[in-house]
Amino acid sequence: MHLRLIRTFISASAQEEAAYRANFFISLLHSLLNFATGLLGLGIVYGQVQTIQGWDYASALAVLGVYLTISALRGLMMGPSLDSLAGMDGEVWRGAFDFTLLRPVRTQFLVSVRKWRLFALFDLLLGLLVLGTAVARLQVTLSLYPLAAFLLALAAGLLVLYAILLATASLVFWDPGLMVGWVFNSVFQMARYPVGMYPGWLRLILTWIIPVGFITTVPAAALSENLAWPLLAGGLAFALALFLAASLLFRAGLRRYASASS
Amino acid sequence: MSDAHIDVQNLSKTYRVPQRQSGLGAALRSLVQREYLEVTAVTSLSFTIRPGEMVGFIGPNGAGKTTTLKMLAGLLHPTSGTAVVAGYTPWERRPEYLRRISMVLGNKSQMLWDIPPLDTFHVLGEIYSIDKRELQSTLDELTAILDMEELLTKPVRNLSLGERMKCELVAALLHRPSVLFLDEPTLGLDVSMQRRLREFIADTNRRTGATMILTSHYMADVAELCPRVILIHHGRLLYDGLLGQLSEQLAPFKLIRLALDRENSSSEWRDRLPEDTAVLNPDPANLTLRVPRRETSALTAHLLNTLPVVDLSVENPPLEAVIDQIYQEAAV
Repeated sequence: MHLRLIRTFISASAQEEAAYRANFFISLLHSLLNFATGLLGLGIVYGQVQTIQGWDYASALAVLGVYLTISALRGLMMGPSLDSLAGMDGEVWRGAFDFTLLRPVRTQFLVSVRKWRLFALFDLLLGLLVLGTAVARLQVTLSLYPLAAFLLALAAGLLVLYAILLATASLVFWDPGLMVGWVFNSVFQMARYPVGMYPGWLRLILTWIIPVGFITTVPAAALSENLAWPLLAGGLAFALALFLAASLLFRAGLRRYASASS
Repeated sequence: MSDAHIDVQNLSKTYRVPQRQSGLGAALRSLVQREYLEVTAVTSLSFTIRPGEMVGFIGPNGAGKTTTLKMLAGLLHPTSGTAVVAGYTPWERRPEYLRRISMVLGNKSQMLWDIPPLDTFHVLGEIYSIDKRELQSTLDELTAILDMEELLTKPVRNLSLGERMKCELVAALLHRPSVLFLDEPTLGLDVSMQRRLREFIADTNRRTGATMILTSHYMADVAELCPRVILIHHGRLLYDGLLGQLSEQLAPFKLIRLALDRENSSSEWRDRLPEDTAVLNPDPANLTLRVPRRETSALTAHLLNTLPVVDLSVENPPLEAVIDQIYQEAAV
């Protein structure tokens, strides 16, 4: 039943997207710019040096590829849904959230999957292109373990991203004007380069406090070197814990809405 | 087990509202320490509604009507008290309960803005897991009654307010709810569209047997649709009974209309009235007096005896006037 519901949401979203044709070209421009600046940045840096803190061009490219891929997946599915919840023009603040609460479907599921942005499939293509190029340059043969490790790490990264987005969206129940989401997006930009490139203190923050480095660097590392399985298992556990914490926060938000809204 | 479809006992709701003085200093202080004000929206409300009944919730702005509806729809937790609707406690928000109810909010929309209504209906069909064929037949039926086939394929943002409200009603009825909460469904609509939707709501009540609670500021809505009204003021129940008896019970005065014989109708009638009688229309051919309910019969006899009365009638004041007076007074 949930899969059919998701399919219905995708088709409705596709029609909503098609209603604004001008946006198509702006989206195209935005995607290409995002793609080009990432590549250009790496190109300039690696035109000067061979490696930075042990990261060569190919492995940094892998990180960029993961970053673009994950950003594309975010733009495709959870991003549009959760973005429409929060903020001053969001559903909670405008009051349309009442209708969401009336639905006989789990609220967290509903608010996470109901809006899709199919244009992001184009971004996904670009991301996979960069990822493919990186793999070719890494000159590694992808056997079963690294590939499985990569996919698992990618899934963990996506789960961490979802948890962060859900948690920031949940804050709308306390204050619609909170800029946490905006701050997170700025920090997330840093994930397009390996966290190893940043100074030690920043690396710590990016790995543990706002774990954007975790989201992109770990999957990319799984491609270029063999990721030790305890690290992978730890990463998955970490992602799961974050997901549970974010779900609890969302539920606390719902309770608050039910006791305070008018 | 009672035969009530909606059973509300001692329902109360108090909001905590952040409070601060105006000015930048107060704004900064409130960042550190917030002061809260307790606002009572609903106080100890009790009533029951039978299956298929249509009840009007009336009361001035801020009386607690919407708060009560939202508690019954499961959107708000009460501060105290109980409610059982269709056998469920609303604020537990069980899927089985949510499948049985529906809500229309006159000032909010549940339609997807950029695509035609038909697509929203299909999404709703999936959310409520309505069988495809059943969805189609419900849709055919509703759109035929509302005469809105041509609206189905226009983007919602291009529809007029009245057209959109037709869509909102269809959206609310697709899953055939047995309880329907209508909060100002005719808000902002022109007179003929109001009448149209009223007929539709009455018809839906007859056809589906759904229990309905309606709030509206248009007394015409309430008068036409709801034999029974619940009047709420300052969060308290003020009256629960037939609309027709509301003025009788709550209006402290009556209207006496009389026509005087032209020949004798100078201004002498004025001297013969008790001092506290309000004259609403001083034209002797159509004199209208507002008198305290208790004194009506005595005064009528007095008038008939002392004045050249050609015609006389005693009426309850119009409903709108009674309501207006209740709304303006703190308590009756």
